[in-house]
Amino acid sequence: MEIQSCVTILNEWDIVAARQLGRNVAKELGFGTVDQARITTAISELARNIYLYAGQGQLCIDRLNEQGKTGLRIIAVDEGPGIPDIRKVMEDGFSTSGGLGAGLPGVRRLMDDFDIDSNPGEGTDIRATKWLR
Amino acid sequence: MNININITKQTEDTVHVAIAGEIDAFTAPKLREELGSFSQKENLNLVANLSEVNYMDSTGIGVFVGLFKGLKANGGHLKLVGLSDRLKRLFDITGLAEIMDINPEVKGGVE
Amino acid sequence: MDFSKTMEEKYIDILKQFMESQSEQSLYAGQQFSRLALEQKIPPEEIVNLQKSAMQKLMPDLPDEVWHSYDILLEVMTAYGFAFREYQSLIDTQKEFKNEMEIASSVQETLLGTSVPTVDGLEIGAISVPAKQMNGDYFHFVHDGDHSVNVAIADVIGKGIPAALCMSMIKYAMDSLPEYRKDPSAVLGSLNRVVEQNVDDSMFITMFYGMYELKKHILHFASAGHEPGFFYSERLGEFLDLEARGLLLGVDKGASYKRYEQQVEIGDMIILMSDGVTECRTDEGFIERETLISFINNYITLPPQEIVNKIFRDLEKLQHFQLRDDFTLIIMKRTK
Repeated sequence: MEIQSCVTILNEWDIVAARQLGRNVAKELGFGTVDQARITTAISELARNIYLYAGQGQLCIDRLNEQGKTGLRIIAVDEGPGIPDIRKVMEDGFSTSGGLGAGLPGVRRLMDDFDIDSNPGEGTDIRATKWLR
Repeated sequence: MNININITKQTEDTVHVAIAGEIDAFTAPKLREELGSFSQKENLNLVANLSEVNYMDSTGIGVFVGLFKGLKANGGHLKLVGLSDRLKRLFDITGLAEIMDINPEVKGGVE
Repeated sequence: MDFSKTMEEKYIDILKQFMESQSEQSLYAGQQFSRLALEQKIPPEEIVNLQKSAMQKLMPDLPDEVWHSYDILLEVMTAYGFAFREYQSLIDTQKEFKNEMEIASSVQETLLGTSVPTVDGLEIGAISVPAKQMNGDYFHFVHDGDHSVNVAIADVIGKGIPAALCMSMIKYAMDSLPEYRKDPSAVLGSLNRVVEQNVDDSMFITMFYGMYELKKHILHFASAGHEPGFFYSERLGEFLDLEARGLLLGVDKGASYKRYEQQVEIGDMIILMSDGVTECRTDEGFIERETLISFINNYITLPPQEIVNKIFRDLEKLQHFQLRDDFTLIIMKRTK
């Protein structure tokens, strides 16, 4: 069972809309406040990346129900320039958006599952899931 | 451990740069970053004024040799002026004084 | 889950006690709690949550504004937690690097290892200490039967791993040209071509190469931009520069290296070094060559190995035990 809803990311206000969507779903699914904050932080990062580097894209939230487990999946898709060296952006300390704690490795740590697919010139597709415990 | 790199003149074919401070393993990457792009340019005359450089080690020599080779390969020229005795000695020992354009005077060097 | 349950109980206890007494003792308990939390790698947002739920239990009738304020704090601290996790992961990576560096430096020691030859009538002392873990200085001796002792001392411009990698290349280039070994200018000429072809544009090597002829007691030498050594003449009681001109290796593939000669009498010394010796920075400025000479003079009656050890210790002390550059010093003394 998958129910998806999406926000188109075009400007900074859309980041807030994406967060709101994520928070509503997280609440509905029964995530606690700490996990809600983590999920929205991850959404912020992913939406911000779209806004800064791809110009536009989509951020969708999936409700998952697999083998009795409930989860929330963030899907961030854009058709921007793509990432030439994924291994590099997944390294800690490598961040173009500035400062410690920013970037994809941080998102991976906040969530339970993390998947990234990117081709230069074609865009980037990132999926990050958190399971309800 | 500070370095100041100041471009004092920049035209189509000439760049004058004044460097102040220390050139060592810590500051050399910055110097290489700021001046490196010039070595790609065609027929460029680069004059570096080193009169305010109070320390340079062999890492600094490395930066200037890289620049010298790069500029030369593209038909340009590197000139170093205003070298203190200590700096001049570094270029003498390494044999570079014989192949590079080095002038301890600032005035005579720039004009 | 059990653990966080006990954490919560502990926290509530501390909080309750402090609310009653405001004693230093409860504050200390709070500090001990934070230690435990850090050990368990509990991120800051969890602590905010702990505070909120503890307050909900202790003072459930607070106005809603207070509870809302925790949500802002939670959001802010989540970002700190984000950074906290990255620090932890960077610390782990750094540990890995450190281990790898230790392995690499011992590999380097094995690769570049050279033994100081024992020669009748010629005493040799040598020391080489890296500023960081990997050494960009290098020296090498080859004892060629009754004919000669060959010595090479080199310094890669740059320090650390790149310099060390470059040195390994030089060592193997040198091993592969034994037929020239006796002619310093030919050795430097061919190494120059190797370096020019294989090394990055801003990486260069200075090298002094000497061939000490054992029967005639003549040092034949050439230099590729290397810091000049000294020649100590016992008869004159004077130190002279072992002056030799030649371009750095790797700048110009057509460079040629002039061969020089120095007659060595009994009691005379040949002193070779890297620029880490003359570029020691002390409180009073740099070590001048004259200062170095006076250091050598202090120990001139000692065997060469003891002289180099003592000078290194003196210079290390002058720099407050913080080497900025790799340090190599070699002394060869004719004893009969």
